[in-house]
Amino acid sequence: MSFEEIEDANGVRLSWNAWPTSRIEATRMVVPIGAMYTPLKEREGFQAFRCEPVTCKTCRGILNPCCQIDYNSKLWICPFCLQRNQFPPHYAEISPSQRPPEVLTEYMTIEYALPKPVGAPPVFLYVVDTCLEADDLEALRESLVVSLNLLPKTALVGLITFGTMVQVHELGFSECPKSYVFRGNKDYNSKQVQQMLGLAGGVAKPQQPVRPGQIPGQPQGAGSGVGRFLQPVAECEFTLTNILEQLQRDPWPVANDRRPLRCTGTALSVALGLLESAYFNGGTRIMTFAGGPCTEGPGLVLGHELREKPRSHHDLERDVAKHWKKATKFYESLAKRCTEKGFVVDIFAGCLDQIGLMEMKSMANMTNGNLLIADSFNTSVFKQSFNRLFVTDAEGFLKMGFGATLEVQTSRELKVCGLIGPAVSANKKTACVGETEIGISGTSAWKFGSITPRTSCAIYFEVAPQVQSFQPGTFGVIQFVTLYQHSSGFYRLRVTTVPRIWAEPSSPTIAASFDQEAAAVLMARIAAFKSEVDDGPDVLRWLDRMLIRLCQRFASFTKEDMNSFQLAPNFSIYPQFMFHLRRSQFLQVVNTSPDETTYYRHILNREDVNNSLIMIQPTLMSYSMETGVKPVLLDSVSMNNNVILLLDTYFHVLIWHGETVAAWRKAKYHENPTYFAFRDLLEMPKADARALLEERFPIPRYIETDQGGSQARFLLSKVNPSTTHQNAGEYGAGGGQAIPTDDVSLQVFMEHLKRLTVASG
Amino acid sequence: QGSPQMDALSRPTDLLKVDAQSIAQSPLANSSPVYQRCTINAIPQTPALMNKSRIPFGLLITPYRQLLAGDDPVPVINAPQVVRCRRCRTYINPWITFVDQGARWKCNLCFLTNDVPAFFDWDANQRTRLDRMKRPELNYGVVEFVAPQEYMVRPPQPVVMLFVIDVTYSAVQSGMVAVAAKAIRDSLDAIPNTDSRTKIGFITVDSSLHFYNLGAALTAPKMMVVGDLEDSFLPTPYDLLVSLVESRAVIDAFLERLPTMFAHTHETQLCFGKALKAAQKMIGPIGGKIIVLQHTLPNLDEGALKPREDTKVLGTPKEAALLQPAIDYYKNFAVDCSPMQVSLDVFLFNPQYADLATVSGCAKFTGGAVYYYPRFSAARAEDAIKFATELGHLLARPLGLEAVLRVRTTKGIKAKAFHGNFFMRSTDLLSLPNVSPDNSYAIEYEVVDTIATNMVCFQTSLLHTSSNGERRIRVLTLAIPVTTSLSEVFSTADQIALSALLAKKAVERALTSKIEDAREAVMYKLNEIIAVYRSAFAPNGPSSQLLLPENLKLLPVLMLALIKNLAFRQTNTIPSDLRSYMLSLLYAFSPELTVVNLYPRFWNVDMLYADEHIGHPGENGSIVFPPLLNLSSEKLDRKGMYLLENGLEMFLWVGKEANPELVSTLLGRPSVDAVPPGKTTLPTIDHPLNGRFRNLVDKIREERLLTGTRYPQLYVVREDGDPALRMWFLSHLVEDRFEQQLSYMQFVSGLRESVPK
Ligand SMILES: [Zn+2]
Ligand SMILES: [Zn+2]
Repeated sequence: MSFEEIEDANGVRLSWNAWPTSRIEATRMVVPIGAMYTPLKEREGFQAFRCEPVTCKTCRGILNPCCQIDYNSKLWICPFCLQRNQFPPHYAEISPSQRPPEVLTEYMTIEYALPKPVGAPPVFLYVVDTCLEADDLEALRESLVVSLNLLPKTALVGLITFGTMVQVHELGFSECPKSYVFRGNKDYNSKQVQQMLGLAGGVAKPQQPVRPGQIPGQPQGAGSGVGRFLQPVAECEFTLTNILEQLQRDPWPVANDRRPLRCTGTALSVALGLLESAYFNGGTRIMTFAGGPCTEGPGLVLGHELREKPRSHHDLERDVAKHWKKATKFYESLAKRCTEKGFVVDIFAGCLDQIGLMEMKSMANMTNGNLLIADSFNTSVFKQSFNRLFVTDAEGFLKMGFGATLEVQTSRELKVCGLIGPAVSANKKTACVGETEIGISGTSAWKFGSITPRTSCAIYFEVAPQVQSFQPGTFGVIQFVTLYQHSSGFYRLRVTTVPRIWAEPSSPTIAASFDQEAAAVLMARIAAFKSEVDDGPDVLRWLDRMLIRLCQRFASFTKEDMNSFQLAPNFSIYPQFMFHLRRSQFLQVVNTSPDETTYYRHILNREDVNNSLIMIQPTLMSYSMETGVKPVLLDSVSMNNNVILLLDTYFHVLIWHGETVAAWRKAKYHENPTYFAFRDLLEMPKADARALLEERFPIPRYIETDQGGSQARFLLSKVNPSTTHQNAGEYGAGGGQAIPTDDVSLQVFMEHLKRLTVASG
Repeated sequence: QGSPQMDALSRPTDLLKVDAQSIAQSPLANSSPVYQRCTINAIPQTPALMNKSRIPFGLLITPYRQLLAGDDPVPVINAPQVVRCRRCRTYINPWITFVDQGARWKCNLCFLTNDVPAFFDWDANQRTRLDRMKRPELNYGVVEFVAPQEYMVRPPQPVVMLFVIDVTYSAVQSGMVAVAAKAIRDSLDAIPNTDSRTKIGFITVDSSLHFYNLGAALTAPKMMVVGDLEDSFLPTPYDLLVSLVESRAVIDAFLERLPTMFAHTHETQLCFGKALKAAQKMIGPIGGKIIVLQHTLPNLDEGALKPREDTKVLGTPKEAALLQPAIDYYKNFAVDCSPMQVSLDVFLFNPQYADLATVSGCAKFTGGAVYYYPRFSAARAEDAIKFATELGHLLARPLGLEAVLRVRTTKGIKAKAFHGNFFMRSTDLLSLPNVSPDNSYAIEYEVVDTIATNMVCFQTSLLHTSSNGERRIRVLTLAIPVTTSLSEVFSTADQIALSALLAKKAVERALTSKIEDAREAVMYKLNEIIAVYRSAFAPNGPSSQLLLPENLKLLPVLMLALIKNLAFRQTNTIPSDLRSYMLSLLYAFSPELTVVNLYPRFWNVDMLYADEHIGHPGENGSIVFPPLLNLSSEKLDRKGMYLLENGLEMFLWVGKEANPELVSTLLGRPSVDAVPPGKTTLPTIDHPLNGRFRNLVDKIREERLLTGTRYPQLYVVREDGDPALRMWFLSHLVEDRFEQQLSYMQFVSGLRESVPK
């Protein structure tokens, strides 16, 4: 099976698919043993088993195809702790010919539909900015109304709007639209919020006699308690639609030299206070829609005077961004509260400028919420992406799980170092936890507020220092166990068991087992993770060092002879990934705002290998009359006059018309029946682009441009500058366009790599 | 000797004829006593003579009173210029004189001569000569000038009404909220709004504040709850106070829903102080009227009060503390409101203790009033109708906004004290954010120098914005001759004005000291006046005779009634809220209403048989009433039915053997035994007696609405019925002995003995 096929079957891809039986050798492999794992990976014909799993009584590991089974005595041996476990009574009939499904190799990944109901519907709390332009508010309003139809009818919904102040809308009030208003500039604690919403207990008894059937001081039905604010969609759809339709822009006047007062921080804090008033077992999404930065109250990221500019990477480096530390701390405290309760926070930015995603990111990143940047809410990027959140499976259930815990079991020769992904530590220190720390470490379990079939995480391992039964040729086993709330209202348990062979440290099997794509993505995640705390140049130097060391270990070369340098095919494009990774928006912040950087890293942190690779090294397709359709090098040499290029950076999908093609199009050749081939040529990339847009989340920004057009900069910034203004003509024979850049080209990069590798090898 | 001759109350006071001395010799050159009356109508020329008389010298002003049936409207003058004395700013009036062949006029207060403006004699538009002597300002003691631009510091304030409604559990359960909503809704067309600028808004309050966005563009009101009492704030900058015209549909929708909005509430906490602060924030920038409807004792956050009444202290000197505010919050709030031109009217419904003494402070210092409905239950139609009618009238009656009142007088006399619901802005300027038609103000004067003229003038000017949006000055001018004769001082004294002034002074005494002290002060003053009179005019007269001139003959019975009034009565059965309420009423009542409250009107209903005219319209929109009876149980015949009215309530006494025909035609009951005692709605029965009697009752109600914004309930009291009700009725018969209080006869003989010869 190819790496992709294994991934398709189990949602897992490893950097190394054979492991050395020596810890020292493992460290010499440079790229750590890691897994890119998509726990809820969708699979054709995949069925959940309606039963409880059989678990090891010592380590809670789950019966799987890697277990040794003694059919005579009805025993199985746990591969993780070697405990011998008795099968439960209803397995009495098993035999080598009647094996239970969970031990069959086709069930390396198995899902148990547990009979345990979640017991409560999910909650969707919309937190909506009203400091928007009228048309933008209108568009957002429409999207929200539409979304009500996409939610399960039993889901609870709530609405909080904010601007200068925060309004919590009561949905159970039939007389008229009713909201509870909070000051925007005040830091309310949870208890205060609950008290002001009338959710605090201890209502004093009325002085007067009470009518029969009434219980004074006791919450009753929908009339009191949190049910006034969060109601089943089916019950409040009319009221909520009504409120949304009557939603007005923030009424407070804004001076010409000011920004509107927008108390995003307080709104989120109030939202948490509301949600914390009750125990919501069924998963909770706080969907935040912000049309600009928080300019009021706690969590302020930008002053409301227009002359104050949003902080840039440059400001952050010089430590002159005056609000960010305080704001970041504030949002981190909210994020922590969210993770304690299992709430998920989504932040949708509908704004041309920054809204402070960098300060707010912890809320989405720690809860596996969504971040999205759109120029406004009146764009298809927002509208379609938002709709796509509510996709359902064949049975009509939302493809959205809540309250997930991913736990890792390893056979004792392997230890887990940590996880990089949209999760927080579940603080489970088992024997599987290793010494080396990568990402969220010190635990063998992580919590995800929400989980979808797309959620992918990177998990890193190391070879244990001292192992007794270290037999080359035997299998080491990793088991991923994901418990989550399925939107059917029941708990589910997804178990993926990953056995890999132990090899002699010197065995060529190890090099041959290298998955350069998975490795690139695993390294990208580490680099992005490091960038959040370390200086940019440090991270680049680290990447370079790692690459050189990898080449020194696995390339074949003669010392001091650059031309002798050679990489095996399964290593050969890895340097190229690293080249593009170094230049990518994940690590380069020039010309990128902190919000954009945050957004890009956020997406990288949750996508699978394929998508991540596109982000690291965008794909480029060329369409021409002469050569038809073909993938071409992401290189300036591909930018020819007579071609159409389709660039996919994951975040942008761009169609670029070479000069000649653009000229023909302007001359309207495609409208002339005799040039139908040209018409088809124009259409082809568009159709392909549509297909790309179709499957993405978030929806990429779609751009059409011509050679020399201003939007062409997106392409220019991505291609390898093999033809720069400095070296034009050097490779000039193939044509292409000169790139106005001082970046080194891939060719130069490779030269350096080879030289450094052979020098010290 | 014998019972007092009460018909003297309805006779005009004997005055020295002065009309002929006015510039145009107009019979209306002096303001009518119902607008402005002086306790004495001959002013002693010297401080010594004034001092000798011992009669309090005071002016009682009811400047904005509503017109009753038969009253003349106030002439409105829209002249190119408001003519005033250059020096003392007196408005030109019927008591000036012309000098220099009429080219100049001499001020009757400071005697400066001023130019007569050309428009007095020449109509520039019509190009015709005019007769200046026909000008209303030279003919009428009561006129109203339309003020030109220079009288405005800002555009005239629109009418603004902001309701603060208690929606706690008990408020909703009592039905108050529902009745209020209906009454307000029914009054929307009647709220003054001639210039279409009227604004209206609502706050409902329990443990939180609820605001309502009533923007004209909305189809339904938007309710906004503010539970943050720490820093209360307005939830939106617009659309809380809205145009009554533009937002009419939303206002209607709100009031329609209000009764059910809080149907399921369990709130028992009331952050009333915060609601007032929020209301002030809303209305402060414009000014206007805050109408407060409160049922629960404020018990949350600032302005919270505690039940502090201890029934054991009632009737003891310690009661005084209960009549004083527990906290200064409401007074201070009112004082803050005054410069913002914000006035408060307070409707209290508390079923238990209301601490009226404290809460009423916010009305008192802003020119507002308190309305008190103890034991209110909307389930009782009479309660609902009373409240709805009073609230409706309050909303519809004329409104004088952002008002200031000043009284100018001739040299030689000086104001020494002011009494009434207002805030003193400077030594002589009364600030009245709203001037209530019901409220009366008293100013006490002293003669400080020998008066050089033969006439003293009082000129009251009330600068205000009328409810049609015009800035106006109402000017009341009263000229009173100066005398050197003590006899004239006595013979022109006005016992109605005097009683009202003494009542207001007694209220102040009760509030600053003790009720007992107030009663003693009243008795001391009465004794003093009698003593002065006797020693001056009948030093050797028979001691069996109580000597007072004709025009002061009723002073003893009125003073007896005053100390027997609920406000001052020596008893331990009057709850302090009721006491405070009565004190607040007497403090604001007009002299005429004061006298009715002290000495209620009392009629024999059986007279309907004797006189055909009774109950039918008389002259000038009046209704013919039976002759007034003295307030003595001697008048009660067990075969009779009697009607009594005290300005606040009416009582129909049904004798044990009352005429069955009268019982059945008036009350729709077959016999006396079948008549339920208590609050009653008169049935309409097709019988002439029924209609005639109802005319009496209706007329009383009409007048009380116009003079005091009160809709008197009718209580049926059976001679053999509910003892408490019976006692309440009998307590009005002030000439009788009642509990430990003296009968009129005992009182008079006591006076004879106590007054030194
Ligand atoms: Zn085990
Ligand atoms: Zn003068």
